[in-house]
Amino acid sequence: MSPLLLNLNTAICLSLTLLVAGCNAPNEKQYQIDYTTQFPQVSGGTLINAMTGEPSGLISMIAGESASSAISSNIFNSLLKYDKNLELEGDLVAHWEISTDQKTITFKLKPNLKWADNNPLTSADVLFTWQAVTNEKNASPYASDFLLVKKAETPDAQTFRVTYEQAYAPALDSWAGLQILPKHLLEGKDLHTTAFARKPIGSHYYQLDSWKHGEHLKLSKNANSVLGPAQIDNLVTRIIPDNSAQFLELMADNIDLMGLDPIKYSRIIPARPELQKKLALYKELGNSYTYMGFNLKHKPFDDVRVRRAINYAIDKQEIIDGVYLGLGINIASPYKPGTRWSNPALTPYPYDPAKARSLLKEAGFTDSNGDGILERDGKPFSFEIITNQNKEREKSAVLIQRRLKEVGIDVQIRAIEWASFISRFIKTGDFDVVVLGWGLGLDPDQYNIWHSSQQAPGQFNFIGYNNPKVDKLLEQGRLELNPDRRMEVYHQFSATLLEDSPIIYLSAGYGLTAIHKRVKGIDDPAPPAGIGHNSQDWYIPKSLRRNEISAH
Amino acid sequence: MFKYLIKRVLWMIPMLIGISLISFFIMHLAPGDITNNEASFNPKASEESRQKLREMYNLDKPIIVQYGLWLKRMMTLDFGKSFASHQKPVFWQTTDADGNVTEGLIQQALPITLMINLLGLTITLSLAIPLGIIAARKYQGWQDRSITLFNFIGFSIPGFWLSLLLMYWLGVVNNWFPISGMHSLNYDSLDTWDKIKDTFSHLFLPVVIPSITGLAGITLFVKNGMLDVLQQDYITTARAKGLGEHKVVYTHALRNALLPLITIIGLSIPGLIGGSVIAETIFAIPGMGKLFYDAVLMRDFPVVMGILTIGSALTLVGNLLADVAYAWADPRVRRGVAKA
Amino acid sequence: MNTQTSLLQKALSNPLSLAGFIIIVCVFVLSMLAPIVAPYDPNYIDVKAILLEPSIQHWMGTDGLGRDVLSRMLYGGRISLLVGLVAVGISTAIGILLGALAGFYRGWVDTLIMRIVDVMLSIPSFFLILAVIAFLTPSIINIMIVIGLTSWMGVTRLVRAEFLSLSEREFVMASRTLGAKNSRLIFTHLLPNSLTPIIVSAVLGVAGAVLMESGLSFLGLGVQAPQASWGNILTDGKEYIQFAWWLSLFPGLAILITVLGYNLLGEGLRDALDPRSGTNH
Repeated sequence: MSPLLLNLNTAICLSLTLLVAGCNAPNEKQYQIDYTTQFPQVSGGTLINAMTGEPSGLISMIAGESASSAISSNIFNSLLKYDKNLELEGDLVAHWEISTDQKTITFKLKPNLKWADNNPLTSADVLFTWQAVTNEKNASPYASDFLLVKKAETPDAQTFRVTYEQAYAPALDSWAGLQILPKHLLEGKDLHTTAFARKPIGSHYYQLDSWKHGEHLKLSKNANSVLGPAQIDNLVTRIIPDNSAQFLELMADNIDLMGLDPIKYSRIIPARPELQKKLALYKELGNSYTYMGFNLKHKPFDDVRVRRAINYAIDKQEIIDGVYLGLGINIASPYKPGTRWSNPALTPYPYDPAKARSLLKEAGFTDSNGDGILERDGKPFSFEIITNQNKEREKSAVLIQRRLKEVGIDVQIRAIEWASFISRFIKTGDFDVVVLGWGLGLDPDQYNIWHSSQQAPGQFNFIGYNNPKVDKLLEQGRLELNPDRRMEVYHQFSATLLEDSPIIYLSAGYGLTAIHKRVKGIDDPAPPAGIGHNSQDWYIPKSLRRNEISAH
Repeated sequence: MFKYLIKRVLWMIPMLIGISLISFFIMHLAPGDITNNEASFNPKASEESRQKLREMYNLDKPIIVQYGLWLKRMMTLDFGKSFASHQKPVFWQTTDADGNVTEGLIQQALPITLMINLLGLTITLSLAIPLGIIAARKYQGWQDRSITLFNFIGFSIPGFWLSLLLMYWLGVVNNWFPISGMHSLNYDSLDTWDKIKDTFSHLFLPVVIPSITGLAGITLFVKNGMLDVLQQDYITTARAKGLGEHKVVYTHALRNALLPLITIIGLSIPGLIGGSVIAETIFAIPGMGKLFYDAVLMRDFPVVMGILTIGSALTLVGNLLADVAYAWADPRVRRGVAKA
Repeated sequence: MNTQTSLLQKALSNPLSLAGFIIIVCVFVLSMLAPIVAPYDPNYIDVKAILLEPSIQHWMGTDGLGRDVLSRMLYGGRISLLVGLVAVGISTAIGILLGALAGFYRGWVDTLIMRIVDVMLSIPSFFLILAVIAFLTPSIINIMIVIGLTSWMGVTRLVRAEFLSLSEREFVMASRTLGAKNSRLIFTHLLPNSLTPIIVSAVLGVAGAVLMESGLSFLGLGVQAPQASWGNILTDGKEYIQFAWWLSLFPGLAILITVLGYNLLGEGLRDALDPRSGTNH
């Protein structure tokens, strides 16, 4: 008996020592550097980043995944881009013109554009890219926007002109998202299997230097960059699948930046002096929100009184404070707060359980057997919330469960791995209520999410929302190019949506990032476009670069 | 011996078919398909492009036809292309018209996993054999008990937890070992000696931790084998002849006790390959386990089926080699008194 | 059943096995009594009290939603043990059935079953489990069934070997000559006499299944939140392992100690079973 206890104790002490020792032993060399002093801005150095997944290729219209576009957006330009205030400006394009009937857009490329391999970049490349994205064989997930182009032509090497069947307001936004590919390297190639996807030649600040499968991708400065040189010489992206391992790498100073969850952002890093000393924290309001959505084809969620009642019964502020540790905003429209598309006249449903109860009563729900759960026609009001494995969403669901129980609704929760979640529940429509998030583009068009025609399996209106008034507004919004009138359309759309309450907005969360303080030139606070908008101007002072540090 | 070999090889054919059946039909347990991956949850992606993907990959053909097509290709070691957008070959490299070589996914991942597992096995054996001998010689003494306890603690710790603790302690607090990855970023610019050192330090944690957790089984095996052998008549005879205890243990007993270990190692191959999922995920190592896990989550059926089949076939080969080695080492088997 | 009792007594004379036995009993009793001994409702949220260090009020601290970790551990233990016990129940049942068939009827039945065993043994079982659970959607029931369905091969071999050797024994041969029915032979003679090694392998199997659940949780394919299991409490806590250490230390130790308990007892039983230690088996 005794040897066992002794050994178990040793084991416990061992584990405790590991943890406690860790808590008190800061990395000494870090303390010797003061990152706050002024350093001269010199170009050079290497910025190391990490991703959980490896891109499948660097032609993002084919790969269709965020890992791919995160890297390829440093290699390829688009025709247009958003500036720090989220206004469109030319990227490859010097200026552009919209015809008076609003159906034709003429893009004029900047003069003397070159690919990294010194070949000229002309309108033929743009035309080739449009043909590639709309080519059925390529099955690009981004094709639908570009299929609306009736005619694309290149009157001369500097000019690219597209004509739409009818005016299409999201057109410019779609061109800001399409990365232009070199025709001379890709013509006649199968874009899926071409070696180009692993050895791309682009026109942007960086070009691919090396790609070690499953380990890292290294980008280096492109001497022919069409927008001039970037400050940092190399961008390395390491593939580290596990988040905890990534955070350990950040602590050990082996990566320079990492996205954080609210707990790391507001509890862990501020509590650790040695981390606080070397890591700068940034928050930016993302173009995304978390919501709870009803399956409108299931009873009783077809009843607007029930949806509103549940909206009143949920304490959104509690979710923002408890789950997002205050790093979120209570919203009333599906647009980023503070942008022109977000309707300032709307206010979120307040937390009002009394009102929730009376609405439920109106809808025919009473607790006839006194068990604390409401019934209608003898059936208890009970449903299941499903969500994917996202800690914040799971926690939000748990808080919702408690609040709904207080008004007499019985809720179960299931968190499901992503692929099963989509294939077994979302696509089949076999769910009552979801807690999910939408990450949105910058254009206000949300036709895909709310239009009644978008309900087929695999489409985005999987909650089955069908409101002729909203359909009409969405169609109108796509045709309206005047920004003020367009804003009016989407303000009306948001107001109708709020009244209908097909989903309950839980929170618009902040994107949270830690960046090592050796990286300078970052805008703080973040402008509307986020901290990344000027990453080409970030720099790492010579004395703070990794090699210099290890030489100390 | 030759006959025995032929028989063993022929037995592999029905087994391979069994394996292919299991791995193929498991893929069809769920209605999920390639278009259900994360990329498709993008407001700009349309149903048409999903439908295109489905047609492109024949996902609409009857299962039996799909199995037939697959088995036919498998005979020629053609495991098809990944469903991921890069469409890389699952197994072995292909060369396109311009002479660009695209390496196969398993081709890239398998050597890494094999190397790590072989290193791990070496460490496990070099610890387990001495520990097993000590435990057997001091059977039920305190040495035996502490070895058993230590081994079982290693075996009972959730591997990823131990890994994270050690990564923090050895990698962050003390900075003795790299935390994750296989090579330093400047690996290519290092000279040969530094390259070896670099690889060694990166592989230290991912090799040693699974070895610790795998120690218990082999140690016990060695211990029990030794205990059995030490009670055999010939050992008693050897002792009676006055041979030193040391000599008895290390020349006579050990050899015979270690023989069955060959079989055990052959049998442990699937566990080693399968167990690599967690270690490879946590240590960011692009081996078979990580490849398989990603493929499962992406519903990348050709890769899932390819790995199950090749992993199992490797096990069969491993078992065959183990049996042959055993037969070679043990005269009784050589004479044809083989076990099933 | 006397063999089993004396076997247990014999095993428990070894201090390690005794410790294992005590651990198993304690963990089992605590989990079963969770509703009585748990200080809080495991799902009671207090957003004012998130990530509190262990204290008098919360012996094991609180988690990211202010839930009491001790209470969640106790309830999570029920789930983890349930997964382990049911999975082993399934694999043992299959193993006994197939092993008995193979060992009793021999011939082609034996060959067929043993080939299936060989096929199953050569497929990396963790891969198989991962794929099946992911494709079937992770849930407690699926996890138990899949672990059970992929771990019956050892028991099958054991039972078969046991049947084969028992068939040669005099008392079985005698009843066979006396014209005993097959079912009677199996249920009164063969099965009861092969029970001890089955028990040993089942005890060791529980250890493996509990560990397996934690590994699946790490990969996001274990018991799904908000249902607590040791595996998913540990996985939740791993993100904050250096700071909110109580979130991972307690579930980690719980798994370690429980699995250790089952292993020590299982090993002790196996040792006691072994003829070399002089049992009267």
